[in-house]
Amino acid sequence: MEEPSNKNTSTLGELYRTFFSKHWPIWVGGLILGLLNVFLFMIKSPWGGSGGYNNWGENVYQSLGLLGLENVTPTGDSLYGMLNILIILGALAAALFAKEFALRIPPVGELIKGFIGGGLMAIGAKMGMGCTIGGFFSGIPALSGGAILLTVGLFLGTIVALKYLMWEMEALPGISSGKSKTLLAASRKGGSWQKWLGLIVTVFVFVMAYFYSKENMTMTWFVIIGLLLGMICQRSRFCIVASFRDPFMTGKSSSTVGIITGILVGLIGFTLIKMFGVGAGDLPLRYREMTWVFPHFWLRAPIGGFVFGLGMTIAGGCAVGTLWRVGEGQVKLWASAVGFLAISPLAAKYIVPAFVGLLPHSTRYKNFMPDYIGYAWSVVLVLAILLVWYLFVKWNEKTGKFSAY
Amino acid sequence: MDTNIDQTLDVKGLTCPMPILKLSKTMKKLKSGQILEMLGTDPGTKLDLESWCKKSGNELLDEGELDGGVFRFVIKKA
Repeated sequence: MEEPSNKNTSTLGELYRTFFSKHWPIWVGGLILGLLNVFLFMIKSPWGGSGGYNNWGENVYQSLGLLGLENVTPTGDSLYGMLNILIILGALAAALFAKEFALRIPPVGELIKGFIGGGLMAIGAKMGMGCTIGGFFSGIPALSGGAILLTVGLFLGTIVALKYLMWEMEALPGISSGKSKTLLAASRKGGSWQKWLGLIVTVFVFVMAYFYSKENMTMTWFVIIGLLLGMICQRSRFCIVASFRDPFMTGKSSSTVGIITGILVGLIGFTLIKMFGVGAGDLPLRYREMTWVFPHFWLRAPIGGFVFGLGMTIAGGCAVGTLWRVGEGQVKLWASAVGFLAISPLAAKYIVPAFVGLLPHSTRYKNFMPDYIGYAWSVVLVLAILLVWYLFVKWNEKTGKFSAY
Repeated sequence: MDTNIDQTLDVKGLTCPMPILKLSKTMKKLKSGQILEMLGTDPGTKLDLESWCKKSGNELLDEGELDGGVFRFVIKKA
């Protein structure tokens, strides 16, 4: 006979196990992330990852008195700077709730690869004016023609970097070998301190959201949604690198399917927001339509995507994949985050302008697909591309035609 | 486990995709029927490993968690 009070705890326990005892199917993660992305756009503007790192970097350089940066937005006032911090906190809380948090310190060679990968991502994101989130996961639903070309670049960069990793494994195995350490891991039976710490982190975030709500309701939303993004990414191991890489590595298709799901949801929501000017306020409809359509068509986008693809594959996480792995304690990705924020302001000031100056202006303008073929055919085109991609990864999973292993 | 381990692969501290790359490389050197023990710390390895085994035909004999956040997998070469 169960006591009524026991029933209550077991209901709560069941809920807890649903969320935290197993990883979620990645398409469930993609679905909810897609919805939250639409939510962000309705409130203000879609999800983006690289801008937040750039904001962190600018604040660091300014506080050191370097680069002569002026008018830097303090991270506490920067929507995307805060969103990135909240993704880390969300992933930290989720990993703690699941007792999956541990400081996993890799061999030194891997730390260096993390830093270089982060630096390449920073350069790629500045060059391509967007990363896997802003330029791809949000850019494709935003019906930006440049986003499609950025995606092509990401693909090529990923494949080249995967070839490099496979070569490195044979020729330079020392890079990924050597001393590693794991600290603070929860033991199998004990470790319930992690759950309590997870609760403290979550409560802290809501207190922070409350303090913002007095003056900046948009930030309150970004804080709460950021927490959810981080939690969902960690639980579903939402990895955009894997979605590009796995079909060419193990042939696994689940990450790709998860990302396609999220883009589909975003496509529906973004199209409606743009067509009907949802959340435009006093601004002209055109302004709403051109949100997340960047002047990177047609050459900046694929070049940037290629460099970003190299970086994310070497680091083992894109802009957001880095964030949530920082939260669960993967120290290689800490190096990647440091590389990203350290190089981003340098890329913006020196590296990218020098290169972009060489490109004719006709290779870097905004391409909003509905301007050329209308909304309906733009949506159909994106759906067709997603369908082809889906069929390719599923077919490849069965036949192993393009998989290395 | 009473299984006789032929080789142990330590990928502790490494993150995706390095564990799977190392695993593939190590497995190539084993003979059919030999058994590999893999120790790692990336929570993502589990999912990757299951699909890799399905794909490559190798058999995942056992998976578990040791103290200190270490995941242990035992794989038999096909």
